Amino acid sequence: MAGGSVFECKEYLFKVLVIGELGVGKTSIIKRYVHQLFSQHYRATIGVDFALKVINWDSKTLVRLQLWDIAGQERFGNMTRVYYKEAVGAFVVFDVTRGSTFEAVSKWKHDLDSKVKLANGNPIPSVLLANKCDQKKESSNNTALMDNFCKETGFLGWFETSAKDNINVDEAARFLVENILANDKGLPYEESNGDRIKLDQETVAAESKSGCC
Amino acid sequence: STDSFCEHISVGRLSSCEDTDTCCISGGPQHRPVEQRDPGWKLFGKVPPREGPIKDPKRIQKTHCSSQISTSNISPFEDTESTGPGNPTSPRHSVRKNLDFEPLSTTALILEDRPANLPAKPAEEAQKHRQQYEEMVAQAKKRELKEAQKRKKQLEDRCKLEESIGTAAQIWNQEILPNWSTTCTSRRVRDLWWQGIPPSVRGKVWSLAVGNELNITHELYSICLARAKEKWSTTPAPSLETEAEDAGSSNRESSLELIKLDISRTFPQLCIFQQGGPYHDVLHSILGAYTCYRPDVGYVQGMSFIAAVLILNLDTADAFIAFANLLNKPCQMAFFRVDHSLMLTYFAAFEVFFEENLPKLFAHFQKNNLTPDIYLIDWIFTLYSKSLPLDLACRVWDVFCRDNEEFLFRTGLGLLRLYQDVLTTMDFIHMAQFLTRLPELIPAEQLFQHIAAIHMTSRNRKWAQVGCYRFHISLVWY
Repeated sequence: MAGGSVFECKEYLFKVLVIGELGVGKTSIIKRYVHQLFSQHYRATIGVDFALKVINWDSKTLVRLQLWDIAGQERFGNMTRVYYKEAVGAFVVFDVTRGSTFEAVSKWKHDLDSKVKLANGNPIPSVLLANKCDQKKESSNNTALMDNFCKETGFLGWFETSAKDNINVDEAARFLVENILANDKGLPYEESNGDRIKLDQETVAAESKSGCC
Repeated sequence: STDSFCEHISVGRLSSCEDTDTCCISGGPQHRPVEQRDPGWKLFGKVPPREGPIKDPKRIQKTHCSSQISTSNISPFEDTESTGPGNPTSPRHSVRKNLDFEPLSTTALILEDRPANLPAKPAEEAQKHRQQYEEMVAQAKKRELKEAQKRKKQLEDRCKLEESIGTAAQIWNQEILPNWSTTCTSRRVRDLWWQGIPPSVRGKVWSLAVGNELNITHELYSICLARAKEKWSTTPAPSLETEAEDAGSSNRESSLELIKLDISRTFPQLCIFQQGGPYHDVLHSILGAYTCYRPDVGYVQGMSFIAAVLILNLDTADAFIAFANLLNKPCQMAFFRVDHSLMLTYFAAFEVFFEENLPKLFAHFQKNNLTPDIYLIDWIFTLYSKSLPLDLACRVWDVFCRDNEEFLFRTGLGLLRLYQDVLTTMDFIHMAQFLTRLPELIPAEQLFQHIAAIHMTSRNRKWAQVGCYRFHISLVWY
């Protein structure tokens, strides 16, 4: 792949954080997204776990997503600050069956924005995931409320997800990656050849229209 | 092709070679007469239950003279039929199998002359073919013999291991434990200790080695547990709408909810700590009691794994005592109170020894920005119980209980040393993935050899000194 090919293939490496309260399903979402698997029996994450997802974004673009699955206990807050470094996108996850995990979302978002920024000083693109939607008790319609919450808190958007039933996980990831690409802040994967990789802005702008909410 | 021929030979010949082996290691004394004469039919060395109805007329005819069927409990080939029409007075011969009974594959490679309707082979060619044939047979035989020897060795090793565990348990029970204060530091005990404490005495040794500096009594455990239960019953179950989000102390108290969430995620593959599992309540009790004993520390992720390992080896109250004392060790206190600067001090000390012991790998880590906080946090917080196979983790605990924190970091370096070659071929994300999810099969002896090869002195300073030194520096700097 490296050099020499007729088509100029752009490779991106994106570091994406997955954060949120303990037990909201961060690991499950990642396992679903990367390995197409779900299990009731994941172990608690201590510190940080990793996953890598390679996406053939289009015929000319390859995206490598480094997913940082960060332990949810608040106590680790200070410790996990170092993990945020150089992230270019984030998922903040909460559990729709536990209200407290939603209340903590603002705290996580604030924490994120205070610890990592894009080169231009803007907050990194982040998407809110309302996970375990398969277990939702009543089918209340919060769409307007949630949209408003996202606007206020600075999320690009939100998705109701279920790692168990594979609902919206791919969609949410695609939405985030679109926005990361639009920011054009990915680290070129092959830094050795010294070419700064330029992004075709038009394509991205066209693609990022397909929003979620 | 020659290859497939050899395969045939090897399958067919297997049993005859095994027989020779069986003779050697099962010996005679094990033989006992079996009333049922029919040895059952046999395919490639597997014997179905003797009462099986399948009877090969030819076999019955041929085995009628066999008066003994030898079985051996220790033979690795115990499922190999060992009957024979040979001399009944000699056990060796009685084990000998009559090759006439072998399935087709035995005869798969037979050198025959050309049929009469074809011109005969020239003598030279016939000779050549005969030679080739013999070579093939000889080679196959050699290979089978080797395999049989390998299996024999494996079994012997296993027997030896089991025997040595048995012997060790006896030594621990009868000699070491009764005279703990005098024996525990002796060279011999240290050596035995390094080889792993037998599971039957493991809990006792851990308790003794960890000690009870905190002077926790069974009664104190009961008191703490009662308080925890009181709190559980007065705390309303967290509901969707209203959940107190008080600052500070109540965050620690909401430990209770965290405990509940984490218990089911503790060794889920064992299926004993989950809701309804036999140890679910015990784990819950110990963790709950601890939050009442040390409300300033509360519940921190990682604790559930430590408590679970203790529960597997000790009675509840003793597990609690060991748990509280283990967490009270300086390194564990630093981590579980998430004392950031102290943790960094530990990481820095770790890196000093990392560079000293594995300079090449250290450089590779540095180049890739792979810092210890990425992989050490999980290892230290759970004392390897999450990252290593449980039996291996217990062996690490054996020595950790004796040598304290230094051994935790030494184990980490041992792991890096063990996987040095594969790690140096990886980039950041693959190393990070590898280290946060170690292989499921880790060779215990090899790991311990690598741990032993780690030198815990750096420029004449030992672990504690390096730590202190760093700690002073950090005090000056911050």
